[in-house]
Amino acid sequence: MSKAVAQQAEEQEVIIDLAKANAIIDKYIDLPGNLMPVLQAVQDSYGYIPQVAADLIAERLNVYPSQIYGVLTFYAQFHLKPRGRFIIRVCVGTACHVQGAQRIKETFFNLLHIAHTETSADLRFTFEEVACLGACGMAPLAMVNDDTYGKMTVQKVDEIVAKYSAIPLD
Amino acid sequence: MLNLTIDGKQVTAPKDSTIYDAARINGIKIPILCHDKKLKPFGACRMCLVEVEQMKGRQIPACTTPITEGMIVQTATPEIVKARELVLELLLLNHPLDCPVCDKGGDCDLQNLTYDYKVDSNRFLDSKFQHEIDYNNPLIERDMNRCVLCGKCVRICDEIVGFGALTFIDRGIETKIGCEFEKGLNCEFCGSCVSVCPVGSLLARPFKFKARFWSLTKQKSVCGYCGTGCNLTLGVKDNKVLTTIYDENQGFHNGQLCVRGRFGYQFINSEKRLTKPLVRKNGKLEESNWDEALEIIASRMKGAGAEVAAIATPRLTNEELLLFKKMMIMAGSNNYDHAAGYAHAALSDGFVRSFGTTAAPSTILDIQKSDLLLVIKTDSYETHPVIGFEINMAVKNKGVTLKILSDKQGKLSRLPDARTLVHSPGSEVAILNAMARVILDNKLADGSVTDVPGFANFEKALAGFAPEAIAEQCGLSAVDIKLLASSYARAEKALILFPVGQAYPGHNAALANAVANLAIIAGKLGKEGSGVLCLSEKNNSQGAVDMGFYAVDGALDALQIIDGCAAGSIKTLFIAGENPLVSYPDHAKIKAALDQTEFLIVSELFMTETAAMADVVLPVCSFAEKEGTVTATDRRVQHIKPAIKKIGQSRTDFEVFAALIDKLGGIAPATPASVFAEIAANVPGYADMSYSALGDEGVFAAVDVKPAFVVPQQTAAASPESGKLALVTGSALYHNGTLSQYGEGPMHVCPEGYIELSRADAAALKFAENDLLTVTSASGSMKLKARVTSRMPQGLVFAPYHFGANPVNQVWSGSPVTWVTVVK
Repeated sequence: MSKAVAQQAEEQEVIIDLAKANAIIDKYIDLPGNLMPVLQAVQDSYGYIPQVAADLIAERLNVYPSQIYGVLTFYAQFHLKPRGRFIIRVCVGTACHVQGAQRIKETFFNLLHIAHTETSADLRFTFEEVACLGACGMAPLAMVNDDTYGKMTVQKVDEIVAKYSAIPLD
Repeated sequence: MLNLTIDGKQVTAPKDSTIYDAARINGIKIPILCHDKKLKPFGACRMCLVEVEQMKGRQIPACTTPITEGMIVQTATPEIVKARELVLELLLLNHPLDCPVCDKGGDCDLQNLTYDYKVDSNRFLDSKFQHEIDYNNPLIERDMNRCVLCGKCVRICDEIVGFGALTFIDRGIETKIGCEFEKGLNCEFCGSCVSVCPVGSLLARPFKFKARFWSLTKQKSVCGYCGTGCNLTLGVKDNKVLTTIYDENQGFHNGQLCVRGRFGYQFINSEKRLTKPLVRKNGKLEESNWDEALEIIASRMKGAGAEVAAIATPRLTNEELLLFKKMMIMAGSNNYDHAAGYAHAALSDGFVRSFGTTAAPSTILDIQKSDLLLVIKTDSYETHPVIGFEINMAVKNKGVTLKILSDKQGKLSRLPDARTLVHSPGSEVAILNAMARVILDNKLADGSVTDVPGFANFEKALAGFAPEAIAEQCGLSAVDIKLLASSYARAEKALILFPVGQAYPGHNAALANAVANLAIIAGKLGKEGSGVLCLSEKNNSQGAVDMGFYAVDGALDALQIIDGCAAGSIKTLFIAGENPLVSYPDHAKIKAALDQTEFLIVSELFMTETAAMADVVLPVCSFAEKEGTVTATDRRVQHIKPAIKKIGQSRTDFEVFAALIDKLGGIAPATPASVFAEIAANVPGYADMSYSALGDEGVFAAVDVKPAFVVPQQTAAASPESGKLALVTGSALYHNGTLSQYGEGPMHVCPEGYIELSRADAAALKFAENDLLTVTSASGSMKLKARVTSRMPQGLVFAPYHFGANPVNQVWSGSPVTWVTVVK
């Protein structure tokens, strides 16, 4: 997490309705070791952890704000800025690499102009490079949310982007 | 004790020691970066690796491995040395080698270890860190490029300070230390993190590029701010105190300091120090000389009798206060007092009646030995931060139960399982009495309590303190009062702490009596880890009372002296170091009284608001320039010695009073040592003390407690005035009295007064943070910036009292609660 990203997270801080976060904290408040479940539920609910929600959690659970930030940056599962509706994961592990993952990655970038961990301005797509998706037989491999696409080609990238761009955002 | 062998040497060590501790106490040095004796073992740096015969083939961290019987340890085999060299090589790979401009140079653990292990080359190649340096605050510079990730700063801020400003951010090779969301440091600025940093990552900015570490002379002293009595090491060069130096072996507090102690030293060499005596001529203060100034004063004093009065600051040494008293008696007056009179009433009136002595029986060392701490007013943290650290450690590390009775939440309220009962302002005395009633009703009282003098009358008076009735008056529930009373009574060892001081007027003596009654009835006196500890405000508040520098036998107390000045019955007033215009209640009244005073003498370090009104101003010395003794709040008597030569023509108050005694025809004692000998001969509890017996850490003056119950008075609850907010005054964390205004560090962080209010009130009145609000009371009106916090209950506002530029006594009349209207 670079300083720039943190700043970006701050800038994107629109008015956040904390009612959902408060309800989650209410649910877990008496559970010992409640920080992780609260953070996970808040992320599920908002799609990421807004800074104001982190501040609220710190105050209500009586945990240092710094400590929460330490947890948030330690685990890859937590996100500090809004994420896209569709998470595109492109495998760049060994098997996919030798099968041309680099070109798949570049093609996504040329179409969406988002690099690793970045999110499109309309919050439709988030792009991630991952080290292995565990299906090397299907290399090169990509995933969009829970859908898996094996034996990827440059052409298939076009199709995938077109397919998910057509789905209306709620 | 267990037996083990370290480097072929048979040694013994306590059962719960680590290998590192066992080696250290037996004089064997194991290198380390991440260990601090005050913190829990961490095992991050891998410098302390050793080999253990019984765990052959592995390299074991000495700092986290407990010893076992018969353990055979090797601390410096060739393999171990090689491993340590590798650790250093890896650390130096990313650490910038900017030692020539690093303020840590010469005092740096990494530098010293690199030298010890002769790591003069590196087999690896990598780029240096490129972190941005945090210059966002004026006191602490954070340069994460130099960081070795030992985590000491993170841990001390959590384990001891309890603030938690810092954390490990990210993981793996990208890990760094920082604040939430990469913000700049915004904390208490106690500098504990700076003190334990083994490298130059955390530095005191006021000391940057001032001097190389090795060029400083280290002078031991005692902090001149609050009553805790922390030991200090001053770093001195060219007759200037340039910094405070951390010494983990110093004092009961192991070198821990608060923002005032660590960063408040600049007043000593301030450009604003008075350097020459001033005499008012033709309405203007003009430079004069000591002969003239003292001659004028002596002529005013000679035979003046009760027309002369004195007010001193409890920052003077015991010897100075005793000499001042002698001088006044020679002039024929008993009208002398300190700390506005009421600030010492808990000791000089309250404890005199409850304990038959002017002191509380417990010491700061009892805090960590207790089972339950009952803290009255969360302000205890702000008034005495290092005592606050002791409370933090007791609760966090020793599992001591913390109960708080306060008019607002505070930092202590956030400690694990701490319970804060927030009562309506000014009602703590009634609650304590109700607790005593509960203890008696529930047969929780100590068995021998009926033998304590005054029991029958006390029992009778408690009839008027039914918990139900008191609870209603005080905004609590009767159940809460009962629970608090029974957990206090049932605790094996329980200690009550409460702060007093000029910002807490109204009922100090009654509070001391109520606390003492409670401790007596529950049988909490005379046991280690138990009892009562009154936290007095200034570095020698306890000493000033012990020296008897207050009004007795019908003499005028400080506020009566002020009234006497206004009425014209006091014609000459000698104020030594006190600044009543700022720190006494009712600004307009004090100003009028000082205006009325025919002749006003002020001895001071600075041209304070009060000094500016004087007819003669004498430049006197700070604690760093004088010799004598001071008595901390728990009656620890400590010896201070000059760390630097006197500034300009300033003289110590001792020299001033001695010269005046001479001029009044008396024989002045030659040295503070001779006065201390007199104190040791005459003052109860100080018997047999001598400078050499005091040593570096001082000696506790014995407190001879003869408990007696004091009948509590029924007090009417402060009735809220409709549409008004209850203003309580107090101490801000960064300040102590009015002196800290001249310490640059505290002023960098907290430069002006403010009014703190609840979110609910702020929302209802549509105030936002930093709005300039007009605060009006029956005695006046002033403007203060708003601070909106979650700790304040609705209807209560808080303002600190230290600031001369815009003193809160413009609206504060000296009652425990001042009713104010607040508008934007």
